[in-house]
Amino acid sequence: MMGDPIKAQEIFQATMHEAALRAAQGELPKDRWWLFRDARGRCLEASEAGIQAEDVEMEEHEIASWAPEQIARLEPEQLAIWIAGAPEPQRSALAFFYLDHFDHKDLLDLIELKPAEFSKHVANGRQQFQGWLNATFPHESA
Amino acid sequence: MKKPSLSRRQRMLVLCAPFKEQRITDRAMRAAVFRAKKSEEFTQQQGFDRAVAELSQKTPMPPEVAEWFTKETTVAPPQRTWKTIATNPAILAIGIAVVVIATVFAFRVMERMSDFPGAETARKLLTTASSSRSIMLDPVKTEAGALGDLFFMKHRLNHYDVPPEFADLKTLGCRVFDDEEGHRVAQIWVIEKRMQFFLFPAERDPKTGAVHDFSDWRYVEQEGWTGVVREKNGVCFMAALRGREKELTPYIAKAKQ
Repeated sequence: MMGDPIKAQEIFQATMHEAALRAAQGELPKDRWWLFRDARGRCLEASEAGIQAEDVEMEEHEIASWAPEQIARLEPEQLAIWIAGAPEPQRSALAFFYLDHFDHKDLLDLIELKPAEFSKHVANGRQQFQGWLNATFPHESA
Repeated sequence: MKKPSLSRRQRMLVLCAPFKEQRITDRAMRAAVFRAKKSEEFTQQQGFDRAVAELSQKTPMPPEVAEWFTKETTVAPPQRTWKTIATNPAILAIGIAVVVIATVFAFRVMERMSDFPGAETARKLLTTASSSRSIMLDPVKTEAGALGDLFFMKHRLNHYDVPPEFADLKTLGCRVFDDEEGHRVAQIWVIEKRMQFFLFPAERDPKTGAVHDFSDWRYVEQEGWTGVVREKNGVCFMAALRGREKELTPYIAKAKQ
């Protein structure tokens, strides 16, 4: 979500601190995804305060059969930066989708998107990332 | 690979389908993925997603964060509400079964509450009536009321009399037979509404031998047949026909007037 490990750690610690405080007061919310929701809220706040990404229309490419090889050549930080640069709510959709922690209904509930919107953001993100991969690691037949 | 035909909703679901089977908990999603599985496009999408997820898992995590980051500490267990319990297929099936059993039990209790002495025999005779054919009986063309003498003279059956309500009806035939318990039963076939009459011994107290009598007409039903029964002098009379109670009621009402 942040593309910046230091900021991400600060947000994580702030969320855990809030959870500990609430637990001590016996006021932990009933929402089972509260921790993720709270962390996302803090990420959005921090992003709004920081430097905003330029609104650039990204090229979309069809998913290639050699995409896994291209992805394997990436560093995790590059992926994090790419996702962090996506506009909201696409950024949240991609981050939570690839976290591989939630089922479809939980994702919709967490990001507060309708199924069609969520699907569109994930599909477009996938194709935009493929476009970026093709530009970064050109394939012979790409 | 052949491209599967998907509905608009299925296409939408496939585009954001989880890349691990265990994350597919939704029936619509499962159906969409099942259809899309055959396409190359979907296989590539899943390969792409798995590769991205694998890369994201490699994200270095500071040790102080890693020790917190277990599923047990970040996700509360799902809460079981009354709604989730009630919509559980197993609970639902048990609930339906209990309701059906209770309904059948209540129906049986109601049936028994309105029963009268000899009702069980009357039901068996309704089954006999449903399977009887006119050729099984000795042809006798007379008024039903006249057969009481015949039963007494020929078969030594005392008080096997057709009540006045049905005595005027013309007969086609009659017979006398022993039922499963060895009781003598008289059967009469009349022309009107293809009705059948049965005369059989009333139920008795096994210790004292006293008749369990009842004075009024009682109705009994069995497999689409209806009978109206009355006891007199230790003998039960039943008029039976294929149909409902309302078809027998006019005969009883006429007698009361």
